Amino acid sequence: MTISIGYFLRESVINFRRNWIMSLGAVITIYLSLLLVGVSFATGYVVTEIVKDVESKVEIQIFLKDGFAEEDMLELQQFLSSDPLVEAVNYTSKEEALAKFKEDMKESPEIIEQMEGNPLPASLDVKLIDAREVEVVVAKIKGNPTFPQVADKPDNPEESLKYAKQIVNRLFALTRVVRTVEVVFIGMLAIVSLIFINNTIRLAIYARRKEIGIMRLVGASNWFIRTPFLLEGVFQALIGAALAIGTIVVLERAIMPRLREVLAFLDLGLSGSVMVQISLILIGGGILIGLIGSGLALRRYLKV
Amino acid sequence: MISMRGVDKFYAAEKPALVDIDVEIEQGEFVFVVGHSGSGKSTLIKLLLREIFPTRGHIVVAGQDLIRLKNWKVPFLRRNIGCVFQDFKLLPTKTAYENVAFALEVIGRSRHVTRTQVPEVLRLVGLEDKMESYPDELSGGEQQRVSIARAFVNRPPLLLADEPTGNLDPQTSLGIMSLLSRINKTGTTVLVATHDREMVDSMRRRVIALENGRIIRDQDRGVYGYDD
Repeated sequence: MTISIGYFLRESVINFRRNWIMSLGAVITIYLSLLLVGVSFATGYVVTEIVKDVESKVEIQIFLKDGFAEEDMLELQQFLSSDPLVEAVNYTSKEEALAKFKEDMKESPEIIEQMEGNPLPASLDVKLIDAREVEVVVAKIKGNPTFPQVADKPDNPEESLKYAKQIVNRLFALTRVVRTVEVVFIGMLAIVSLIFINNTIRLAIYARRKEIGIMRLVGASNWFIRTPFLLEGVFQALIGAALAIGTIVVLERAIMPRLREVLAFLDLGLSGSVMVQISLILIGGGILIGLIGSGLALRRYLKV
Repeated sequence: MISMRGVDKFYAAEKPALVDIDVEIEQGEFVFVVGHSGSGKSTLIKLLLREIFPTRGHIVVAGQDLIRLKNWKVPFLRRNIGCVFQDFKLLPTKTAYENVAFALEVIGRSRHVTRTQVPEVLRLVGLEDKMESYPDELSGGEQQRVSIARAFVNRPPLLLADEPTGNLDPQTSLGIMSLLSRINKTGTTVLVATHDREMVDSMRRRVIALENGRIIRDQDRGVYGYDD
């Protein structure tokens, strides 16, 4: 058996070199499709992380009118704190709101200079356990009889509520579109890779038809004849996978620091275990494409 | 060794290649199958190698029922059948030694077996001095000897030869035939398809004559017997 393994490896490398232009085409298409798969997994991971992060930051802010009755505010805070969907309710006074605003806007001092007095309302900041329950909690707040009495805009209490439901939903919608486009692209590239591998293997079979004929004649078993060609397809796919993994590592190094800079408030990063997962998926996908591509060629062109 | 009963082969519905063939060949026999081109000799050989299926009838070769034989077992059938062709079918990039060794390698024989058996069989066919020569450095007769060595290196119980002397001059053909005869004496059944009249007449072996796909004569110690 040890002789055979050496034989198969040697044969598949010889085939590969004999037809290196076609093989290169196969390698490049596999590379591109696996690269897309990898990038899509990586972005999918990052987007999921962002969504999780945003979700954890979803808050309902209840703006309070100036000069609200403190016991009303406390009653509302009490009412919400006892709700099982609510994690915490924090009070932000007008002064704290202004201080926070100044802190956020320190890049543009002219805005702060133009401010007269303190136009910012005090607020109750409701932190949720699960961001998806935001509508339920909002409904509860609206149903509370104390709420209109403390709301910043008593005529239209709804406008005194601010929450970020749309952000989360939009992110999910965006990822869904991106995913669909990616799946279509990956599918098309996978088909092109299969055609390329199919062709290289067909040429390899054609180049060795005399040898194959003799092998059949003297009774070489079918798998013995097929294995070098199957290996050749897998070989091409593995080179493509290795290139794709390398590219993703380089891209990660180049892009992630900038992304982290731009989205500093989010905790971003691809951990080592995620990279290992992506690599394994790419290698597995590559082997699968290689086996299917050369298997199809063998079925069509190698009658044994 | 070979048993064909009621075998028909039609490539197209109206054109029979072989019709109602009944043949029994015992182990150790030396048999000529003779006939003009298109008489069905090559079809007969292909049927015995199970490269094709008969349209009707039963074929048993080396104890294997070819109709029932599973596809994946065909290679193991062929290890019991040595094959020699008119065009030698040697690999031009391999030496005589490598060409013969190839036949052992691809059926998974160990290097040790290859190293002992290949020189032995090349000596048997008289090419011990030309083991390292490439096919284009050998004469036609020598190339055919390499091809016979390859067919015989695995010691198959049956040797099929399709026009083995078709490309060779009479002198060389005689050498090839005596080589086949010598192989036959080791107990190997030999079946030779040929239209080489002189050869058949001089050997005086069993002759099966085909015409338009039918057996018209089957005689021991026969002659070629067509007037053409």
